[in-house]
Amino acid sequence: MDILNGILVKPFADMAAAPDFLLQVLWEGLVGGVLYALIALGFVLIYKSSRIFNFAQGIMVVFAALTLVGLYEKGLPAFIALPLTLVVMLVLAMTIERVVLRPLVNQPDIILFMATIGITLFLIGFGELIFGGENKVMITEQLMIPTGSFVFELFGGFVSIEQKDLTAVVGAVLLVAGLLVFLNKSKIGRAIRALGDDHQAALSVGISLSTIWVIVWFIAGVIALATGIVWGARAGVSFALEVIAFKALPVLMLGGLESVMGAIIGGLAIGILEKVFEIYWGQPLLGGNTEAWFAYMLALLVLLFRPQGLFGEKIIERV
Amino acid sequence: MKTLLKTAILSSALALGAGFAGPAAAQDDSIYIPNLSYRTGPFAATGTPLMNGQRDYITLLNERDGGLNGVKLVYDECETGYNTEKGVECYEKTKANAVVTQPWSTGITLQVLPKSNVDEIPILAPGYGFSPMADGKVFQWAYNPPSSYWDGASMILNNLSDGNLDNLKGKKIALLHLDHPFGKEPIPLLEALAAKHGFTFLPIPVGLTEMQNQSAQWLQIRRERPDFVVMWGWGAMNAGAITEAVKTKYPMDQFVGVWWSGHDGDLKLVGEAGKGYRSISWSVPNSESPLMQDIKKHVVDAGKSLINQGEGEFDSVFYQRGLMISAILVEGIKEAQEQFDVRAPSPEQLRWGLENINLDEARLKELGAEGMLVPFKTSCADHTGHGGGWMLQWDGAKFVKASDLLMPDRTEIEPLEAAKAKEYADANAPWPINEECSM
Repeated sequence: MDILNGILVKPFADMAAAPDFLLQVLWEGLVGGVLYALIALGFVLIYKSSRIFNFAQGIMVVFAALTLVGLYEKGLPAFIALPLTLVVMLVLAMTIERVVLRPLVNQPDIILFMATIGITLFLIGFGELIFGGENKVMITEQLMIPTGSFVFELFGGFVSIEQKDLTAVVGAVLLVAGLLVFLNKSKIGRAIRALGDDHQAALSVGISLSTIWVIVWFIAGVIALATGIVWGARAGVSFALEVIAFKALPVLMLGGLESVMGAIIGGLAIGILEKVFEIYWGQPLLGGNTEAWFAYMLALLVLLFRPQGLFGEKIIERV
Repeated sequence: MKTLLKTAILSSALALGAGFAGPAAAQDDSIYIPNLSYRTGPFAATGTPLMNGQRDYITLLNERDGGLNGVKLVYDECETGYNTEKGVECYEKTKANAVVTQPWSTGITLQVLPKSNVDEIPILAPGYGFSPMADGKVFQWAYNPPSSYWDGASMILNNLSDGNLDNLKGKKIALLHLDHPFGKEPIPLLEALAAKHGFTFLPIPVGLTEMQNQSAQWLQIRRERPDFVVMWGWGAMNAGAITEAVKTKYPMDQFVGVWWSGHDGDLKLVGEAGKGYRSISWSVPNSESPLMQDIKKHVVDAGKSLINQGEGEFDSVFYQRGLMISAILVEGIKEAQEQFDVRAPSPEQLRWGLENINLDEARLKELGAEGMLVPFKTSCADHTGHGGGWMLQWDGAKFVKASDLLMPDRTEIEPLEAAKAKEYADANAPWPINEECSM
């Protein structure tokens, strides 16, 4: 009876008893969700245009953030370090296309996937050789990201909103909006989508595979940099950031590998639901740390009914 | 680019050199000391200064004294990335010529522990590993001086309760811990103490992927309002927790960490906002000590160190703790050399050496490290020494000593230690017990 009460009654009673706390939980879930969506977007963009599951997206986040902080530490002002980091990400995209992807055109997907594991290992070693393994402080103030917090007194309690979290949410919304406009309205965006639909058909109408790949990997690099700045501002920049890429996997399963909208909605859904579940059910009934598996369980449930994810393309093959 | 290429070539040459270092150890003119290090991966930020410290102490002895009693010490690292499987691989790879194993993670220690009776190589795990390893009669080959995790938990509670655990009655203590064997280590003792002294114990696990986004854990802390938060964190988890504590406005003077949660690099992220945070520690940095001056002269200024001088690593708690860890090992080797009158002791002889370490204040002064390490003495029955620890406090820019020497309440710990050691031996039967040890 206690268990039923703990599952069906107490969580909702707790929510009603402390609505300010519930709002705080929802806000934290929303921020987490936006961050997950950002990581997932990097995966989706590359998969959409090349059918490659980019295992290196996590380390690209670390590499971009470390480059930014590293350049600043070398004495460059933040407003120069930031565009210079973008140049580094562009060079990285061009190098990956020239050295790794181009020789592997027409190879099976698994070969390209393995190649991205190789890129990951290279970037770990190269990054540590140049920047070292120490935890570095993100140059939040220098990038003019506000660091204070807004405290709202509500329902006899309070809701605290960190200004850098708010900046992250606004920044992510603008980035995603820009990306959607770019993909849907620009010529290059249409070319990216065309490549995603059918490589050979796209090539036959004169779309350059190598140019598009460089552009897509560069955009993934820009997203990685944005993700690195946001996550780095929370707990420093170190190789531990790489681990957060694992949080994107259930988002991709839930939203579908090819859908930008899926990554965003999947990220937000997982962020909010895992936080609410952890606070009201996980911690009181299961000892906590349910965030480690909740998202996977949710994705698994969705896959049972929609194997292509919520927004993925349904592939019908005639044999 | 040229410099980069040179660095890459030099690194490769060093790696190759290290690979060939092992066989040389079989000779009588050198002692092979492998270290299962982690300079890469999510825990690199905390691992690197420790490994640098260990490496630099050995370099100092080789450069300044020509080794230990004329025998060169060959320090070698095998990279584990703090991954238990890789750690076991490294153990297997290095054990042939090793005089000791330094597993560097509680997970790896637990995997290597059952092999120690077969391979007969001492495991040295200063300040980490399985707390009942203190029982030398059961764990003949394992050592965790100068204080075990249970010693640490006891010292923290003694400090929070002003020396009387009954003062904690009715209070709530949260343990924010990494969801990993290391983080779970103090739980049995804290549960037993909570039941005995009437305080509420609330374990709050942090998963590997949640280390940098602990909002759920800190929302729980906001809801439960514990009187104290004790942290058993490592790597990026420490910085994540301290950032969230600042954000949640949790009082820093009610927030205490174990010695692995007291890293300068983590606190520098929050700077002034982290003022008041404390960490129990069995080592204290002292950059003005004769030992540190020698390290500076013979190792750092001579360009033989890997430390990042620009970020104040030389003065940091973890770098100087790394030095102390190697000092403990070298003391054991020295004891073995003298006892058995050999240049390069065997693992079995080193076992005797590690059981007869007497790093008292006089000996620490002799080493130039007075006040940098808690004095302690080991025996065949006591593989920890239970030297105690000091509270270090973050003053906004660095850690400073904030208490006299604190001691664990051994009467509370010993029964649990004996019970868990027996439980382990029974579960791994047949498990040899050192009957010769009469202490």
